[in-house]
Amino acid sequence: MRRRAVPPGRLRRRLAIAFLLVGGLSAAVLAAGSYLLVRHNQLGDSVDTALRQARSNLEIAPTYLRRKDGEEKLLAALERRGEFETIVVSGHRSFSSSFSVSPRAVPADLRQLVAKGQLAWERTRIGEEHVVAVGGRSGPTQLYFFFSEQDVWDELGRLRATLLAGLGLVALLSALTGALLARGLLAPVARASAAARSLAEGLLETRLPVERADEFGSWAASFNEMATALEAKIEALSQAEARERRFTADVAHELRTPLTALVAEASLLAEHLERIPAEARRPAELLVSDVRRLRRLVDDLMEISRLDSGAESVLAEPVDLAALVASTVRARGWDDVDVFAHPLVLTTDPRRVERIVGNLIQNAVEHGRGHVTVRVERDDRSAIVDVLNDGPGIPPEQLPHVFERFYKSDPSRSSQGSGLGLAIARENARLLGGDISVRSTPGEGARFTFRLPVTEPLRPSEDAVAATQHDGTRQTEKETS
Amino acid sequence: MNERLLLVEDDASIREVAALGLEQAGFRVTTSGDGREGLLQFRRAPFDLVVLDVMLPSLDGFEVCREIRRDSRVPIVMLSARTDTVDIVVGLELGADDYVTKPFELAELVARVKAALRRSAGIQAEQIIELGPIQIDPAAFRAHRGGEEIALTATEFRLLLELARRPGQVFTREILLELVWNYEYLGDSRLVDVAVQRLRGKIEDDPAHPKLIKTVRGVGYRLDVPE
Repeated sequence: MRRRAVPPGRLRRRLAIAFLLVGGLSAAVLAAGSYLLVRHNQLGDSVDTALRQARSNLEIAPTYLRRKDGEEKLLAALERRGEFETIVVSGHRSFSSSFSVSPRAVPADLRQLVAKGQLAWERTRIGEEHVVAVGGRSGPTQLYFFFSEQDVWDELGRLRATLLAGLGLVALLSALTGALLARGLLAPVARASAAARSLAEGLLETRLPVERADEFGSWAASFNEMATALEAKIEALSQAEARERRFTADVAHELRTPLTALVAEASLLAEHLERIPAEARRPAELLVSDVRRLRRLVDDLMEISRLDSGAESVLAEPVDLAALVASTVRARGWDDVDVFAHPLVLTTDPRRVERIVGNLIQNAVEHGRGHVTVRVERDDRSAIVDVLNDGPGIPPEQLPHVFERFYKSDPSRSSQGSGLGLAIARENARLLGGDISVRSTPGEGARFTFRLPVTEPLRPSEDAVAATQHDGTRQTEKETS
Repeated sequence: MNERLLLVEDDASIREVAALGLEQAGFRVTTSGDGREGLLQFRRAPFDLVVLDVMLPSLDGFEVCREIRRDSRVPIVMLSARTDTVDIVVGLELGADDYVTKPFELAELVARVKAALRRSAGIQAEQIIELGPIQIDPAAFRAHRGGEEIALTATEFRLLLELARRPGQVFTREILLELVWNYEYLGDSRLVDVAVQRLRGKIEDDPAHPKLIKTVRGVGYRLDVPE
């Protein structure tokens, strides 16, 4: 089973983002609200002050304007009244309190409103400076006052900067808090995940620390109970399996001595069959063939218990797989087996390969309707031996069991084999670093695929030395220079 | 024929049937069911070949083999269980010439015994081969170094002789199995490897860096004539 690829820390990131959103948004609303409020008040105050001053200025204006050249005097008088600049427009003439302000600084809308006789104001700029321009009429004369608002705007700017910095800080702190909280909260989950993984990898003694009295704590306790139960179960199973294997090995071992005597005796008997009286000859023949059958079974049992014990070694040498398969088929006298093979040389243990291929073909012959095809192929990484038969095939529900020991698809059918052939073939294949797989379509036969990985580049067989030819003779060696 | 064989095997049935089969094949067989007793019998009378089981009471087959090899080059065929692959190599390293795995058919045992006897039977009318300081005398079945005899078993001698007949030529393990052990089927290449190791130990100045018998990686062996 493959673990689904969930990037670690995704939940933690989500929590941090949620905290960031909540904290950051609240802070932003608060900051924006207070900024707008302050701005509104400050700017309102500034206009009120300007209007008050303007009204007062307008009140004293007529006194000066009645006089000759009253505009100049008015300007002089106003200059003493406060921090503002004044423009007096009288007919086509205009007077300024400072060079920095000219009648052009008066916005057109304001000028229109003033012309209608209203006291009006407008925010504008003189150069870079924020000002409130207030205009009013005193008789035919228009007066415009410019009150600097720069301080207010500067202050608002500072306030904005401060609020933004604060907002950023709050957002950062929320995110950090979220991440830290999430880590603290999710640490048990990460530990449990690691523990489950190590359990899956076979470290059955893995347990979780139960250090909290919350839901995670009770979860960890349950996890540990499960792990303990699992460990006990697996331990029991592997002990049972080890006992079973030891028993098999012991039985095979104990059978060997009497079997050796039997095999030797039967082989001697076989040499003299024709001299045995007729009435005893048939039983003697049966005895000889049954001893051979028993020998095959015990040989297979011994081989599988050797493979189980892990004591088997691999004697690798350069092998031409195609030639080996062909000679195996010839040596066993299988006439209805077709071999399609291109020379393919690799370094492996020829005896084990012979055993694997022999068992696969034996199985295919036994379960087929008479015709078996063997193909030797290769791909980028493996040498492949495919063994196909034309038999009734294997039902899908039996496919996973065909490599089990003594598995018989049809218990009523007696087989010539030991019932260990495929199991031995697969164990040997795995010993060589390969494996065997099976596919079958019921009614159309079965295909067993022996795959043997090759680490070296595959060579054509010209380099092969003393490869066994199809007629069983050997090629003389060719010297590799 | 009528060669004398000593069969040391503890299981009575196997001993009896093996003796019967070997006698029917024309050998004179003396049997023993015990390692120590078998060794005493070997020292009491001349034998042409010894068939030796590994698992024996009182003195196991390896010990018997080692004792025999102290002063005799008689061919030894070990009977060994295939379960103990280590047995096979240990037996060969101690100087056994061949092994037969249990269970065995009598025809196989007889064939191995005959092959081992043929190897030791001497090779007639061949000239002495000189390999630097080493002289190989096929007729006398002896090899000498500077006038002193090298104690080689029959199998080791045959191996040296086959390699020395065609110096510089590469011999695969399969070819050597055929030439030296008379095997016409896929035998066990460990026979060759272990025998070469033993032979190097007796004829090379430094067996770890052989000058005479070279390994040709992935192929087999070759004998180089010294300058």
